[in-house]
Amino acid sequence: MTQIWLGLFSGIAFGFVIQRIGATDAHRMARSHLMLDADISRFMVLTVALSAVGLFGLQAVGVGRTLPLPTSIVATGLAAVIFGIGWGLTGYCPGTTWAAAGEGRMDAVFALLGGLAGTTLFAQLHETLVPILYDPTNVGQITLTDLFRNHAAAVVVLAVGFGFCTWGIGKLWGSGERIFAFEGEPDSETSPGNAEKTAE
Amino acid sequence: MEHTNRELIPYWNWIPAAFALAGIIVFIFATYGPPASSSGFVSVLKGFFEWVAPDYVAAKVHYKAIPGPGAWLFAFVLGMAIGGFVAGRTSKKIPVRDMPPIWKKRFGDSRAKRYAATFFGGFLILFGSRLAGGCTLGLFISGSTQLAVSGLYFGVVIFAVAMLTARLIFGEIAQEEDIQ
Repeated sequence: MTQIWLGLFSGIAFGFVIQRIGATDAHRMARSHLMLDADISRFMVLTVALSAVGLFGLQAVGVGRTLPLPTSIVATGLAAVIFGIGWGLTGYCPGTTWAAAGEGRMDAVFALLGGLAGTTLFAQLHETLVPILYDPTNVGQITLTDLFRNHAAAVVVLAVGFGFCTWGIGKLWGSGERIFAFEGEPDSETSPGNAEKTAE
Repeated sequence: MEHTNRELIPYWNWIPAAFALAGIIVFIFATYGPPASSSGFVSVLKGFFEWVAPDYVAAKVHYKAIPGPGAWLFAFVLGMAIGGFVAGRTSKKIPVRDMPPIWKKRFGDSRAKRYAATFFGGFLILFGSRLAGGCTLGLFISGSTQLAVSGLYFGVVIFAVAMLTARLIFGEIAQEEDIQ
């Protein structure tokens, strides 16, 4: 029972934060994929860097449970391609559909229903597909620690690498200034966001 | 450079938001284990099929690995819906829309078309997630946090493919200046 309350509490906090950053807004997600607004992408990447450091701290004091998933070269890659098409098309990923549906976005309710259908089909085909796609190229639960032979060094590499990506996304993507305009602000040349853009 | 109209952005600043979410993720690792959300879909279906077709559930490998709705995984996704609801009700600034403006611009304002597309997209993201064993949260974020190669690999490919897909679908529309 404690686990249910912990899950519920964690979910509420998680759903609240991703709504506030705008990850439940398919429009903002599309702008992020189009490299017009950096915030969601760099938010995700920085979250991973910080979480990895936090998890290292937990492990140092012997708290928590980890379970890295195995890597299957074919299945993980193919699954990511299928996932990426769906994510790019709808602007939703599995977690955000729940929060966005709760928020009251009808298109997310349909994404959730589609997700249930997709899950049902995969569960039905699991016994057929996993031996063909997953198992032959499954290289096991490999982590960066296996590559660098040192846990602390691997955490540093990951955190620095993701930190660098966070910075890079800010440089490569648009700065997200033009997001003001949908609040009804005239998107004029004189608005500071645009002035800065022209100056670049 | 600080913007004078910063307060007009309805969203939280991404840096404190990342600290908040990372705090929640570390809390989840401490109190449960690796966070996941696509598994919640399996929990829902397991509960449903245990009710309508118990023999089917008992025979399928995919339902054996994941607990039914009376466990952390389902409580978490239900919590996400509640969190989204509370957040949506308490923010007057973040617009709640049934259809993203960029979609409307590209495909017109047919709701049926948008809902059919999100149903199909939802189908793809969950089919892919279940094949890989996790989603953006359960594989990319959770996995990378645990330094798993699977999470990093999945993350790179989903970002690349989603960006390419969005560009193919909305690329021309995005060139127009008035898309916000």
